[in-house]
Amino acid sequence: MLALIYFIVLSIIAVGSAVCVLLSRHPLYGALSLVASMVSLAGIYGLLGSPFLGVVQIMVYAGAIMMLLTFVIMVLNGARDSHTPMFDKVSIFVIPAVIVLAGLVGFALVRAPIAFDAATVRGSVAITSKTLFDVAQTGPGYFVLFEVLGVLLLSAMGAAVLLAKKRLGSVDSEKEDKH
Amino acid sequence: MISLGLIPLFPLLGCIILGAIAVISSGSKKGPAEGFVGTLAVMFPALSFAGVALLALNMPEGGIRETLCTWIDIPMFRAEIGFLFDGLSRIMLLFVTGIGSLIALYSIGYMHGDRGFARYFAYINLFLFSMIVLVLSDNLLLTFLGWEGVGLCSYLLIGFWNKDLNNCKAANKAFIVNRVGDIGFILGMLCLVTIGGAAILNYDVLANFISMVINGNHVELVVPFLSVAGLLFFIGCTGKSAQIPLLTWLPDAMAGPTPVSALIHAATMVTSGVYLLARLGSMFAILPVVLDIIVVIGMLTAFWAAVAGLFQNDIKKVLAYSTISQLGYMFMASGVCAFDASIFHVFTHAFFKAALFLGAGAVIHALAGEQDMRKMGGLLKKTPVTACVMIFAFLAIVGFPGFAGFWSKDLILEKIFTNCSMAIPGFTLFGAEIPTIPLNGVIYTVGLATAVITAVYMGRLIILTFFGSYRGSKESEEHIHEAPAVMLIPMVILAFGAVFAGYLWADSIGIKFFAETLAPVVGAAQAYNTPAVTAHLNPVFFALLGTIAALLGMYIAYKIYANARIPAAKGSSAPEGGKATWTFLFDSLHKYVGIIPVNVLAWICDVVVDKILAAIQWTVGAIAMILGDGATSFQVRKVRLQVAFSILGLIALLAIVLLTGGTL
Amino acid sequence: MELQAIYVQILALVIFAIGLIVAVSRRNVFFVLMGVELALNAVNLSFVGFSKTLPNDLSIVGQVVPLFTIAIAAAEACVGLAMVILIFRNRESVDADTYSNMKG
Repeated sequence: MLALIYFIVLSIIAVGSAVCVLLSRHPLYGALSLVASMVSLAGIYGLLGSPFLGVVQIMVYAGAIMMLLTFVIMVLNGARDSHTPMFDKVSIFVIPAVIVLAGLVGFALVRAPIAFDAATVRGSVAITSKTLFDVAQTGPGYFVLFEVLGVLLLSAMGAAVLLAKKRLGSVDSEKEDKH
Repeated sequence: MISLGLIPLFPLLGCIILGAIAVISSGSKKGPAEGFVGTLAVMFPALSFAGVALLALNMPEGGIRETLCTWIDIPMFRAEIGFLFDGLSRIMLLFVTGIGSLIALYSIGYMHGDRGFARYFAYINLFLFSMIVLVLSDNLLLTFLGWEGVGLCSYLLIGFWNKDLNNCKAANKAFIVNRVGDIGFILGMLCLVTIGGAAILNYDVLANFISMVINGNHVELVVPFLSVAGLLFFIGCTGKSAQIPLLTWLPDAMAGPTPVSALIHAATMVTSGVYLLARLGSMFAILPVVLDIIVVIGMLTAFWAAVAGLFQNDIKKVLAYSTISQLGYMFMASGVCAFDASIFHVFTHAFFKAALFLGAGAVIHALAGEQDMRKMGGLLKKTPVTACVMIFAFLAIVGFPGFAGFWSKDLILEKIFTNCSMAIPGFTLFGAEIPTIPLNGVIYTVGLATAVITAVYMGRLIILTFFGSYRGSKESEEHIHEAPAVMLIPMVILAFGAVFAGYLWADSIGIKFFAETLAPVVGAAQAYNTPAVTAHLNPVFFALLGTIAALLGMYIAYKIYANARIPAAKGSSAPEGGKATWTFLFDSLHKYVGIIPVNVLAWICDVVVDKILAAIQWTVGAIAMILGDGATSFQVRKVRLQVAFSILGLIALLAIVLLTGGTL
Repeated sequence: MELQAIYVQILALVIFAIGLIVAVSRRNVFFVLMGVELALNAVNLSFVGFSKTLPNDLSIVGQVVPLFTIAIAAAEACVGLAMVILIFRNRESVDADTYSNMKG
């Protein structure tokens, strides 16, 4: 019962923040609303018995990713085009379409008989790490995936650096060298 | 015994070697050494002739057969390369290779100084190879190969001096008209194959088949089908042997060098049609309708060509029409199933016609290229040997007693009278009985009249060329000289043949050597068509009539032309006015029946069909473009809109899955 | 009334739909990225919700896979922002509708 109340509160915050993202004019407002939505989702994770994941969500998602996004918004002055109309013909076409899509999926979901299982395991750090670094492969093996994920992050970082840096000998770098 | 395959091999080798010489020396200005090339060129046909003579002396009664290899071997059809050396092919080969060698020798003199010397002899050897294959083969398919080969060589040799457009046109005409005839040959072969399978193309198998049909009394069953085949083969023969309606190419073919005319258009190629009829004699013997058609066409051709010969001014054209006329005689003989008589006339005709052509070539050579008879005259004193040769050949062709033509032509006329069973059937008209009218007398009379006209135009040729006074220019008169020895020797040999060749079958004095050699081949066919009118007429009677005809013609020619004033020749030597209409009768026929409809059809295709096809193409292209443009309109500028379309697609998929009960 | 599994799924669906709308109908490129992040979050939620319906060891999957998803979302955000910077350098505009080089 208590869980349900907590759940309803948190979900209202989450959905509300999402709608704020939709309707906000300035990207920074949108980013902040997004952070709020993520934090509330982290709470729902904890409610559902995955506290480790909830904390990871706050640390990585709300902390690192959104900070990066905010940084770039501020660097590039993302509010430059805030005079353009927010919603146009495409949006009017899209919104009903997505609603129909959600309706269909929801219809399919509701008819499925799912229920919480009593014997679910609460996701503590110990158990999660044991599953992740399970070298003996007693369960589904995540070890290799974990390592690959590390490589992926590294390569993404390298790609980002390469993409965004100024080319040597380009006009901008010439201008910089002269000063 | 030497292998049969050697006989065509020699000229083939000659062609390849001489062709190689021609190609190798094509860069140099003067060409290869004429002595060397000439020796090679005569050596190969001579070797072939030696081989034939060797085989001929020891030939067994039934002939020699030899199969070289399998040519086509598929489940539907099987053909072999095989050779058949029996009485018929022996005779043909002897004079083909013999006269071929003589004409090669003559050509060394005639083509002296021509840049294309080696090329000429390569073509001549190729021609001899094709002709030998034609005559020596033991099945129709290989004969057809030779048939086409001689047609090709005819084209190559007529258009030999190919810088002049008229020569090329004449060569084209020869080849194309021959081709039209060849359709008949091919369709005839197909007809036969339909009846008897692929093996029936072999002559022995065909003869067996026919004798089986006769013995089993199934003749009426097979005759309709075989009549079609026979008619088709005859169409092929009209193309190759210049009969009505496919004879327009032969006069034009005189554009080639004179030895070519002698070899191809007098002695060998044009006789392949007659040879084919003799070979297929057993088949034609049971087809009375086709035989009648052959007789009628032969008769009409002989008469028409003889009259046309009267109208010509060019010496070679006169000889060309004379050839057509004599071929008409041969076909008349074949038509009454006297195949041995027709082959005999082929044999003698080869000698005297070749002698006439070679003599004409010597005259042309003496006058440095002049061919119009109106500019000749009085050459008897200046070129005596040539004149002698031509006069002997003239006596042979008109059928003067004792010379070759006398025996063969009168034999033909006699056989026509005794063997021909054509008749207009009797019928009742208004109650009156009109009896059947036998036509053998009519045909005989036309043949005799043609003999008279032959004597007239040949006499005209001899008188205009050799007698009287010279009508040409003064400076050309000084250059008139007798032909060199290399040209004279073949002419003299052929003149001997023209005199004595006829004695191989002197019916009236009882020598039947020629008939006996041919009897194993064509005897059965001839026996089938027993003559309607049994010969109670003495052969001497026919000989007498023939002699009278010849003498009458010579007298008429003498009367008209001996002291006549020949009008000065102006312009070309072609006939004019009414004479032109008669001469070019069949050219006009071809134009109206063939060329103009084809041109109309081509015009229709060009203007109408082409436009329709272009419109269809344009329509297909336009449809593709419209569809493409419609498809590209789905690509929008805005990425968001594109993603929105994807969402739409997703909805559609989901709806379908749900509706068909995919989930739950 | 208890907290039922289906509620979690419905919430995830709603957040996903809103994220999709944001991603497609906003013209500012940053909002597109934010919408994508929202949608990814919704997917994570759905994962966790479903794993709680499974017994014992299998339910750990619901923790591990969202972990990977978060990591990948981080990488994607990083590269995406680098590309935004790159495009911005050329065009001086964050309006997604002007990024239309590949027009039909």
